[in-house]
Amino acid sequence: MTSAEAANHYFKKAARIMDVGERIETLLATPLRELKVQVSIELDNGEIRTFSGYRIQHDNARGPMKGGLRFHPEVDGDETLGLASLMTWKTAVVNLPYGGAKGGIQVDPGKLSLKELERLTRKFVDQLHDVIGPTRDIPAPDMNTNPQVMAWIMDQYSKYHGHSPAVVTGKPLELYGSRGREAATGRGLLFVAREILRDVGMGVKGTRFAIQGFGNVGSHAARLLAEDGGVVVAVSDVHGGIQSARGLDVPALFEHVRRSGSVKGFPGGTPCRGEDVLVADCDVLVPAALGGVITRQVAADVRARIVLEGANAPCTPEADEVFEKKGVLVVPDILANAGGVTVSYFEWVQNLQHVTWEEERVNGELERVMKEAYEKVGQISRSRKLPLRTSAYVLAIGRVGKATVLRGI
Amino acid sequence: MAIETQLVKKLVQIPIFGALTLGEAADFFDAASEVAVDKGKTLFREGDSSDALLVILDGEVLVTRKGVELARLGRHAVLGEMSIVDGAPRSATATGLSDVKLLKVPSARVQQQLKADNLAALKVVSHLAGVMSKRLSMINDKLAEALGQDKKREELADFSRTLHRWEF
Repeated sequence: MTSAEAANHYFKKAARIMDVGERIETLLATPLRELKVQVSIELDNGEIRTFSGYRIQHDNARGPMKGGLRFHPEVDGDETLGLASLMTWKTAVVNLPYGGAKGGIQVDPGKLSLKELERLTRKFVDQLHDVIGPTRDIPAPDMNTNPQVMAWIMDQYSKYHGHSPAVVTGKPLELYGSRGREAATGRGLLFVAREILRDVGMGVKGTRFAIQGFGNVGSHAARLLAEDGGVVVAVSDVHGGIQSARGLDVPALFEHVRRSGSVKGFPGGTPCRGEDVLVADCDVLVPAALGGVITRQVAADVRARIVLEGANAPCTPEADEVFEKKGVLVVPDILANAGGVTVSYFEWVQNLQHVTWEEERVNGELERVMKEAYEKVGQISRSRKLPLRTSAYVLAIGRVGKATVLRGI
Repeated sequence: MAIETQLVKKLVQIPIFGALTLGEAADFFDAASEVAVDKGKTLFREGDSSDALLVILDGEVLVTRKGVELARLGRHAVLGEMSIVDGAPRSATATGLSDVKLLKVPSARVQQQLKADNLAALKVVSHLAGVMSKRLSMINDKLAEALGQDKKREELADFSRTLHRWEF
């Protein structure tokens, strides 16, 4: 099951528990607009290459649509639609005035030069600029896209519509980006970890964390959790894993990764396989790499009592059921990793107001947003006796639904 | 009290009596009588016992049900035709929009004729069935339309109530 299918599964489950009716379910699930465009460029050697670009705009009842743009060989319409709807629910859970969208180009960016990548990005914007914009749809970085790509998007869009930094977020700090954006998802995980641990009578201090994935999300989560007194007992990346029951020296690990490019071979722990991290002896498991890694079988072996979904859809729906039976608390992706889109929102707000916030303000506002979202999801979970994931979807459907009803069909 | 031959000739031009010969019509209207109702007065009220079939000879009549206007009927229109069939109480209220002259055909008399297989009465009822069938079809259309609209409003409203129950 892809993460898109998983999102659809959870949406339907919550919609049925709420008993919204078949036609309202269809209304909420159907995308507003699906765009597929040709993106043709001339390679550096003069050859012509044609790629397919997508932008799926799922829902705008709560505001302009928001979601990432990825450059990946497996980008396709179906998966993109599922991820677009995931953004609708995610922005609703954290109560940002946004809808959801997702897009990308079916391309292996590793095979393109920087110049080719720039031409590809600009050509995509040429095809897309009519349907995106600061009040329409605001893209952001995703798989294989970065602040540089966002800068090209902003520049190309501005050629058509005038200076428009708010058309895209995740821009470089030097070009209307926001302080705190890079660590935002990891920091959001920290805030949610604090809340749920307090709920179960624990705290970050002294709690043992295992983190799968050491990219933008996992690395910052590890650093911030360790700074808060958490004990990081295992981490992994695509190359392998490392663990230590007494806790890894996270700053030293960062230095190792900076030098070698991987957590593998870090001298301050015992090497292990990446998948071992998922079943490591710990209190909190943070899957922050790919979707679908925690299957039913893995879930049965997970020793953590809390799972914080740093990645999108790391747990399959079957794994979710296993966790429910085992009494493992799962903080779902649409809540746990919403820190990224939240600071994207702050970036957009700063751009629209032509101001720059200090990092302290960004982090403070992020903490408020994440706490409020957790509190609200927790309330639904307690009063309706539902798992956190279903509660988060219920909250999201409720917010999107209310906006839809108020606006009218 | 027999009615004038002149009037009978006019009555057979009204569609539901159209199949009657003059002789049959004279037979059918044998027990009919003329009635005058002043402007603004009520001919009958919803729920009244229905004792007669009425033909407007002159003037205009407003037909309402639960205060909602159903129709405005003029010269040669027929009211209370259902009384012949089922004798159930009046399903609507009729009021004179002007001074009205009516021909009143007692339904008891028509039912009696029907029992006796009176050709004139059978012809009238047969025509009446056609008129009522058309009316039913029209009402069905209106009903479908009304239900369709209500459905849409209700579906959104239902959803809104569902959301309210979930206390966001």
